[in-house]
Order: sequence, then structure tokens, then C-alpha cells
Amino acid sequence: MDAAEVAANKEAEASIDLLAIVLDTNPTQHIVRQNPQNLTQILEAVIAFGNAHLMQKAQNKLAVISCSHHATDFLYPLPGRQVELRPIDGQYEAFSLVEKTVKQQLGSILMNAPRLSSPCESLLAGSMSMALCYISRLQRNVAAGVKMHSRILVLTGSNECASQYMTYMNVFFTAQKLSIVIDACALDKTLSLLQQGCDITSGQFLKVTQLDGLLQYLLWVFMPSPQMRHKLVLPPPPKVDYRASCFCHRELIDIGYVCSVCLSVFCKYSPICTTCHTIFKTPGPLPIKPKKKKKTEKQM
Amino acid sequence: MADDEQDDQKEYRWETGYEKTWEAIKEDDDGLLDGAIAELIQKAKRKRQAEKTKQNRLGMMRHMFIVLDCSEAMSVPDLKPTRLLCTLKLLEIFIEEFFDQNPISQLGIIALKAKRAEKITELTGTSRVHLKALAGMANVSLTSEPSLQNGLDLALKTLKVVPSHASREIVIIMGSLTTCDPVDINLTIDELKKERIRCSVISLSAEIHICRYLTQQTMGTFGAVLDDSHYRDQLLSQVDPPPAAKTQDNSLIRMGFPHSKNEVEGKDEPLSMCMCHIENLEEPSGLSTTGHHCPQCNSKYCELPVECQCCGLTLVSAPHLARSYHHLFPVPNFEELPFESVPPAAPDCGSLRKCYACIKVLNGLTDKSVFKCGYCNQFFCIDCDIFIHETLHACVGCNTIPGVAGLVYQKQSGKTPSGDTQQQQQPKTMLPSTSKQRVEYNM
Amino acid sequence: MADTKSGRYASSSATISPLVQSPENLECKNFQDYLRTRQTPESLEKLYNYPPICLAVFRELPEIARQFVIRILFVDQPVPQAVVSSWGAQRIAKEQMEATSCLTALNVWRVTAIPGGLAAWELSPTFKKSVRQVLLGGGKPWAMTNTLDKDSKPRDIAFLDTYAMARWRCVLHYMVGTGSRNGGTDAEAISPDAVRILLHANLMKRDERDGITITRQGFQFLLLDTRAQVWHFMLQYLETCEERGFSLPECLSMLFQLSFSTLGRDYSSEGMSHQMLMFLQHLREFGLVFQRKRKEGRFYPTRLALNVTNKDAAQASTSADDERMQERGYIVVETNYRVYAYTDSQLQVAVLGLFTELLYRFPNLVVGVLTRDSVRQALRGGITAEQIVSYLEQYAHPNMKLVESAIQSKSCLPPTVVDQIKLWELERNRFTYTEGVVYNQFLSQTDFVTLRDYAQSINMLVWQNERTRTMVVQKNGHDDVKRYWKKYSKSGG
Repeated sequence: MDAAEVAANKEAEASIDLLAIVLDTNPTQHIVRQNPQNLTQILEAVIAFGNAHLMQKAQNKLAVISCSHHATDFLYPLPGRQVELRPIDGQYEAFSLVEKTVKQQLGSILMNAPRLSSPCESLLAGSMSMALCYISRLQRNVAAGVKMHSRILVLTGSNECASQYMTYMNVFFTAQKLSIVIDACALDKTLSLLQQGCDITSGQFLKVTQLDGLLQYLLWVFMPSPQMRHKLVLPPPPKVDYRASCFCHRELIDIGYVCSVCLSVFCKYSPICTTCHTIFKTPGPLPIKPKKKKKTEKQM
Repeated sequence: MADDEQDDQKEYRWETGYEKTWEAIKEDDDGLLDGAIAELIQKAKRKRQAEKTKQNRLGMMRHMFIVLDCSEAMSVPDLKPTRLLCTLKLLEIFIEEFFDQNPISQLGIIALKAKRAEKITELTGTSRVHLKALAGMANVSLTSEPSLQNGLDLALKTLKVVPSHASREIVIIMGSLTTCDPVDINLTIDELKKERIRCSVISLSAEIHICRYLTQQTMGTFGAVLDDSHYRDQLLSQVDPPPAAKTQDNSLIRMGFPHSKNEVEGKDEPLSMCMCHIENLEEPSGLSTTGHHCPQCNSKYCELPVECQCCGLTLVSAPHLARSYHHLFPVPNFEELPFESVPPAAPDCGSLRKCYACIKVLNGLTDKSVFKCGYCNQFFCIDCDIFIHETLHACVGCNTIPGVAGLVYQKQSGKTPSGDTQQQQQPKTMLPSTSKQRVEYNM
Repeated sequence: MADTKSGRYASSSATISPLVQSPENLECKNFQDYLRTRQTPESLEKLYNYPPICLAVFRELPEIARQFVIRILFVDQPVPQAVVSSWGAQRIAKEQMEATSCLTALNVWRVTAIPGGLAAWELSPTFKKSVRQVLLGGGKPWAMTNTLDKDSKPRDIAFLDTYAMARWRCVLHYMVGTGSRNGGTDAEAISPDAVRILLHANLMKRDERDGITITRQGFQFLLLDTRAQVWHFMLQYLETCEERGFSLPECLSMLFQLSFSTLGRDYSSEGMSHQMLMFLQHLREFGLVFQRKRKEGRFYPTRLALNVTNKDAAQASTSADDERMQERGYIVVETNYRVYAYTDSQLQVAVLGLFTELLYRFPNLVVGVLTRDSVRQALRGGITAEQIVSYLEQYAHPNMKLVESAIQSKSCLPPTVVDQIKLWELERNRFTYTEGVVYNQFLSQTDFVTLRDYAQSINMLVWQNERTRTMVVQKNGHDDVKRYWKKYSKSGG
């Protein structure tokens, strides 16, 4: 028993932990519109958090992706080139590289952003899918015998974009399949879709109400690696609402009708499926038992 | 690989012309084969992806029986360690994958032992039962011949009473070259045909006429395995839902989406027992506060999906359904282009060409071809192309660029930004199949 | 009856036990052990003034301890002990205890009292300041990071790797005594300083004819992987650095700075003290840094210096970049215990000869076989089975590694061979040695039985045989049994 634990610890020490942070930088977020300084504050916290992750183990890796209203871009690492830097203070050079790159990159993204005419949703699911592609590339490239544990942390103050429901689900299931943990830190509202994602991939969901303690919250809840988390006392998982939203009105429903051909969900009975154009035979769902009888009668 | 397409081929492999397979492999300048082989592998990967059936009418609600030969022939060690053990191992993977991809389907297992058929597990929707039963089958004694007919009859008897909106299937895994049947098996085949039960056969030894005939009559597939990895591919190809039969009765099924109670009040639920364990003496459940409550009759279950024992409502969770949506909304195939067609990044970013999704720096030597999505016009490396189509099922470009976001998945008639009109015409010429599909979604 | 003699037999445990547990074995310490055994709280505090050392110490901590430090890093007040202990789940109380004591032992945190009389933990202010600085910036820049003009002829990583390995191999060659015999050029010779360290570390010793030969520990040293070799060697070096007049914290800090530097980047030696420049020259000799000329103010750290404390990190980072510091594997081990080594290096042949019986020698191939005798001979020399296996694994031919991915085995060696080597080691541990006293030549069966039963009742009996009336009693029980015998024979006689 003890030996197994020691082996597990050793394995954890030897593995590479990859943390991909998806940072919502959309300027139309409520908290950013409230006070543009907030974005800077969030950014500082994220950089410190990312560096704290790198500090844990020499082989840890970090990626930061910005999800803005017009595009999704990598803030760190950058392909091919490095920002030239000579340290000016006592910060570890790898950490100042992260800080400089992220700030410089985000600056140029915001500068080049098109003017906003109306509030735009953040396409977080897309950014998460990009993180997954990046993670899967690194995972393909690790040498035999070296383990890599990956996770994605989403920090956002925007709403979920309902039109991306399918992408969210695909991202969650892909992450589950690759055993990538999805953590989410909501800065404004509770996000039910991301909450589902955290639950599916057994990640942590946390709603932070005040930005002042953001770094401390991050360090507290999201710093421990998923393998480590069961050893620590962390906030209990919130109850997750797994109700479906119907395809017709996008409303959460308790009882609905599901098309037997394509599994689309409808809140009311309709004679034709709007997704796959199937025409349904029986008017209204019959209880299963009479149907069975009918079936057997037909046989005879 | 050889017998995949035999349905289309008129002649057997040994009847076709002499193929110089080795000529496909060319040495590179250094006399090495690595590059050529890597290219072949890539092509094979892409081919498999392109072959995926493009349909949005699938029989998603499946009732499937696996009929497993447990005769003497299964002890042959040509698949390692023996045919049976190899099969059990692969079935484990199959069952996990099956329920992963077909969330509201049911599965049952029938074993053909010494000319008799025995039902190992009833039709049920939980993988646990099957996996447990499979584990117990490793030590089964393998004697005598199987009876294909008895197996089919037993499966037929159960599948007959299954609601007609479900697609009904039998997958037979045959090790034996013979079958020992009580009466004329053609009668059974006719019955299956009449019932529109799709039968597929995977033979571990060789092609058998009666099996091939069975699959032809019932619109199933037939395959004889070459080795264990081919076997695996054959078996896993049964995971994807088959196209819905034209004649199949379609219906809307009423389903419940349970959610935890008392959420609003914010206090703990009272302790209660769940219905699934209440009668299960083997592993009685303790009292718990968590669980899923049937929205109709309020009985509690600890696992989903499940059919409510009180009111008969099928209880599922939304993600369960969502798991199979990617069959309905597949990512359109990307266009293969030469490396040079990727526009290099701005000079201040080092003029590099990179993959949009994984920011891998592409170079002309290893990434000879790149892949472009017809909607978002982004370029991807081959690994991302495969990852996006096989695992992620969502185009990274289309989901990160606001103009095209959700385009492929939106069912409402396209209110796409005006700037996209150009793009919309392009794909029509390049990707005929997908553009047609899109028109359908947009209707 | 009264004159029954009790024979005495002192077992030869003193002569045999070293074989089982040799005290002279090579002792490889990791960084944490080094700090715990060699440093006092005061000197630790002095070390924590150097941010690179703090970073290294932080990474050496157990994972739980790292989480604790991170959690209280930005907390300015002391944190009550009860609060800290509530952070861990109940099940891991033991692990948490270890982490806590480790933090205390390394003086990372210390106990203080907070108002209300509760005991609390508080990070050592020096440590806290340094770690914060590493993480967030501020303070003085690290040494050696002065701005440099662009190197006109920058060195690439491949060059640095070859250079580093060539330098390091010089040391190893010297140890097996092949460097000089091959008519080594100047580049291959090693300095008297390095020799002194080897002698100090007991890896080599002076023999009677005043020559220098390799010791048993030296051979064990050769079996280590390169990173472990460098680390062990540097530890030994640090022990002697005080007598050279170098300051230990400065050297240690420099070493870790190198270990955290970026491969392929040039650094400046400007502003370094005379001692540190000397230290740099030593590092240059062992291949930890590359410097074109002695006086040049520019140097490149090599892979040998990177992640010097952490094996896993080194492994993970090298493999991730798909570049290997280790020379390519050259050993093929077959299930029939044959070992084929594609090498012409004297050093590798010598190491292989430690535990194999060499059969044939070709210009680029050596064939040997692992036999019971050859392996036992190595075991007798203090080499462990684990070391043999890890050496073979480390230098396994790439083709052996291909097999690894096909079958789900942890090692790329044939499992039979690995198991057998381990069995040969276990076989030597079949005996447990206890010192004892033999009682024999009893005159009657009753005497024997009485004494035996007594010895048994006080759990001192080791062995007995009724037919020959012989019994062995543990040494510390001898007095008791003797006294009992005297009493018994007196009353009986």
C-alpha cells in the first residue's frame, strides 16, 4: 500500500504537467466595461499564476491563449521566435520571458483589433478546442515512458455563447477521452455549460466575485495538479444542472421529446423533425407496452 | 484492408491482376524508406476519414445482440493468445466505445455453446453488466460446434418485441467454419429479413457462404479478419450507427432530464435510497443525498441513463445525447493543398507558416501537404486535420473566428455576414458533398 | 553431570556482514539530503539570500509542501498550524506530517506564536522574499545576466552537447585509466584539481606504487547516469570549495543559476568576483559551461549544468525537445543473456566488463554474456542489481526501445534477464547472520531438553538439534542461559 503510494508520488514527480490557460480578453465583458483596469488586474494574476505553475517543477509547461471578440491567439508560447530579453530584476529569466511575451502579444492583439460596433460574444469553446489541438500535439511528441498530464483553465467574465453548445460538448468529450481536466473560473456569472464541462472532466469550477483576491483564489483552488487534488480539501463541486435545452427554443426542459433518428430534443411534439426531416408515424408517444402488443400482432 | 471493399468488387482478390505492391514504396535520396512509409501511413489515415459515411439520418437508437461463437474453433491460437481471449479483450473495448457513442442504445450478448444458444446478458443500457459477464467468460469450456440458427432465433425472439423506432442489429462473431442447425437456416434468414434486423458477421477464420448470404439478405456487412488489429477495426466499425432504414418507424420518444432537487433552497437533500439498488441484493446501496430524480414520478436513480422503474420514462442527461451529435454534424472534410499555399505570417512574426490550431511551425520537408477548411479558410497540419475529424469533431477555425462561427452547425437559415458570400461559393466547387449537406441543414 | 561443558562458538558475522551491507558503498545524496545533513539553520538562512538556491530548494520539496508554501507565500501574517493541517485530506495525514517536518528541517518555515496563544507557521522571511522575487520580479538581477553584444559566432545546442560530453568523458576516461594510455592529447588530460576531487570523493585512491587507481566506489560511479555523476561530483567539489577559499553559498548559487539557465544562450561573466571566475574555470573544465577563451567575458551553459538536481526534469526536458545529451544507446541484450555492445570505447568496455564475461572483441563490437559468476562478482564489488539493470537500460540500443513500445513492459530489456539479475542479488541475501553461542556435549538428554526449553522460553534460541544435543543461543542471551545452567546443574547435581 505504502509502496504503491510512493510509486505514485514518484510518477507524479516525473510527469510533465501542462497547463493551458484560456483567458477571455473580450473588451465587452461586463467586468471590463465596468472598469478597464480590471483586465490588467486579471492579466497580472494570470501571469503570476502561470509562473507559479512553472515554478512547481522544472518540466512543467504553460500555454496561454487569449480569446477576444475578434480572434483567438496564442499569447505564450510563440511559435518559432522568442522575445529577446535581458533581465532587469531578480525574476527568473524563464518567468520574465512568460510575462514579457504575454503582455507584448496581448498588447498587439488589442491594438490590431477592429472597432467594436456592438457587444460581441466570446467564442470560448473555439479557444478551448484550439487548446486541445495544442495539447494533443505536445502529447503526441512526448518521448516514450514520459507521462504528461494536461489541463485547461478557463477564465472568463462573459456569458456562454448558446450557439456554441455543440462545440462545448465536443470539447468536453474530447477532453474526457484524452483525460484532460477542464477547470473554470467564472469572474462574473455562473456558467452552466462550463460547469457541466468541469463535472464531466472532473475539474474544478469556481466563481470569484471580487477580483482583489483573484491570485490567491487561483493559487488555492487551481494550482494543485488534478492528481494532487484528492489529497487536499477543496471546495465541494457545485450541483450541476444536466437538463437539456430544446432545439426549438433553447430552453431548459425537464421532459422532452427526442427524435429516434437523430436524437434532437424538442419541447413539444411535432410531426416532423426539423433537424433530420424525418416524418414521425405515431401521433404522440405511445406508452411502450401497448406498442409491444401492436408489434406482435403485426407479426401474426 | 483486402476485403473491406469486396462487396463492390466483382472478383476475389486472388482473381485480380498481379499487383506490384512494393512499387508504391519509393526510396528517398538517402536510400531510406522512412519518409515514404510515413507518407503511406498519412494517406491511410486520411482515407479512413474520407470514407466515413456522410449521413444525417442514422439509426441512433440501437438494439444490438452480439452473438459470440464459443465452440472448439475459438480455442485456436491464431489470434493471440487464443481467438476467444482476443475476442473478449476487443469486446471490452467495443462495449465501452459502443455506449460512449450510442448513449441510449441497448446491447445483449448471446453465446453459442455446444450447438445451443445461451443468453449471457439481457438487452440493457449499462456497460457494467456486460463487462462483468465478459470477465466471466474467459474460462468457458470450448467444445463442439456452434449453431448459428439457434443463436439467431434467440436474438430474433427478443428483438421482435423491441419498439419499432429502434434499429435492430445482430453482430455475429464466428470462429467456426461450420454450423450445426436443427432445421433449414434459410427460414430464419427470411424471418430476419422480414423483420429488417440487420445482421453483420465477423469471421475469425474464413469467408463462409451462409454468413455472407445472411449479411447480404439483411443489409449487414461481412468481414473476415486478417489479424488482431484488422479484427479490432472490423469490430469498431460496428460502433458507428448504421444509416436509418428507410422503412424503419420513426417517432419522437418522450424522455426525462433529471436534475438534482432543492437546488434553489440551498439546503441538503434528505437521505434516500435509489431505485436501481433497492432490489439488488449483491450490492445494496447506502442512503445518500445525491442522485437523479425522475421528473415525472420523482423516484431516484444513482446512474444515468436508465429507464424509470415506476413510470417507464427514459431518463437521460443532456450530455449523453450530445455525445452522439457529432455523427449528425460531422466536420466537412478539409481540402488538401501543397505546403506552399499557406500564407506566411507577417514578417515581424518571423514570416513563419504555422498550423492554425496547434501553432506548429510548418516546414516544407515534413509537412508536404496542409489542409484547408472550406468555411474559415484556415490551414491545418495533418495531425490536427485528423484530430479535428476523428476526435474533436469541431473545426477550430470556424469556432474561433466570429464571422463563420457556428456556420456549419446552425440550423436556422444562414444569416451569415455579407462578407461571407464569396466563401460560400467556393466550397461548392471544392466540396460538393459537404455543401449539399449544408443546404440541408439550412432548410 | 556437574562438569558439563558448554562450548562456545562465536559466529563469523563480523567477517561476512560487509558483503551484505557494505559501508563503503557509493552514497548518492539528493539535494534535500545534502541540505539536511550538511547545513545548519543559520547557514541555510544564509543560502536563502540567493534566489536561485531558493528556487532549487522549492522544487526539491515534496509536492504537498510546495502547495503549502505557494498558499502562504502571499500571506503576510503567520498562519495557525491548525489551519494548515486542515488543508490536507484526512487520509494523507502521514504524508502531510512528512511534508511539514521537511519544511521545518529545511528552515523554510518556522513556528511562531500568534496572539491568542496558538502556534502558527511563518515562512522564513529571507526565503519568502527570495521566492517572491523569483516569481514576480524586483530586487537585483541575478549575476551573470549582464547585457552582452550579440555573439558574432553563436554556438548552437548540438555543438554544446558534443563539447560537454567530450569534456565529461575525459574525467571518466581518466578514471578507468584509458585517457593517458591512448596517448591523450592536451585536451584529454585533466587538471590536478579534478584529480584531487576524485581522490577526495574516494572515487580513486593512491596505490602502493603511488599511482592512482579507481576504487570500488569509482566503478559504481561509472554505472550512474551522466546527470547523477555530475551531481555527485559537484557535491564533492562543493565540500572542498571552502578550503579553496570559495564561499559555499556563492558557488551553490552559481551552480543553480546555471542549472536554471536557457540552453544555447550566452551569459556574461562580467562583474564576477575573482573566486567565482576561478569556479567558472573549473566548471569549464568539467564541461558544465563552454567558454571560448579563458579571458572572454561570455560563456554558454551546457546541458550537463541544466537541471542538475532533478533527474526527471532532465529526462523530460531533453526528450521533449527530441535532443539527447546521452550518447546513443549501443547495447543489445538478448534473452539468452548475451550482451552485444556496439562500441570501441575503452571506457564502455571497461564498465561492461564489470558485470559481464567478455567473449569476443571486434573493432566496433564487443560480445559478452551475463553469467551468474560475472554478476555475482559485480555484486561482491558493491554494485547493486538495480545499478546493472539501469545501466543496461540507459544505454540500450534504439532498436531495443522499439520493442518496448510494442509490448507493455516497463523496461526495454528482456524480462527474463532483468529478473535473473535481481534473483542473483537476492540469492546472496538468503542468509541472515546472527551472532550466537553454541552449547553442546550435554551428558544427558534431559539436561539438553531443560536448557533448550528455557532458552526457547526467553526467545533466545536460534537453532537446536536433539540428536546431536546441540543448540545455539543468541549472544545477548548467553549470560542468562549460562546463569540458568549453573543454577540447574547445582540443584540437580
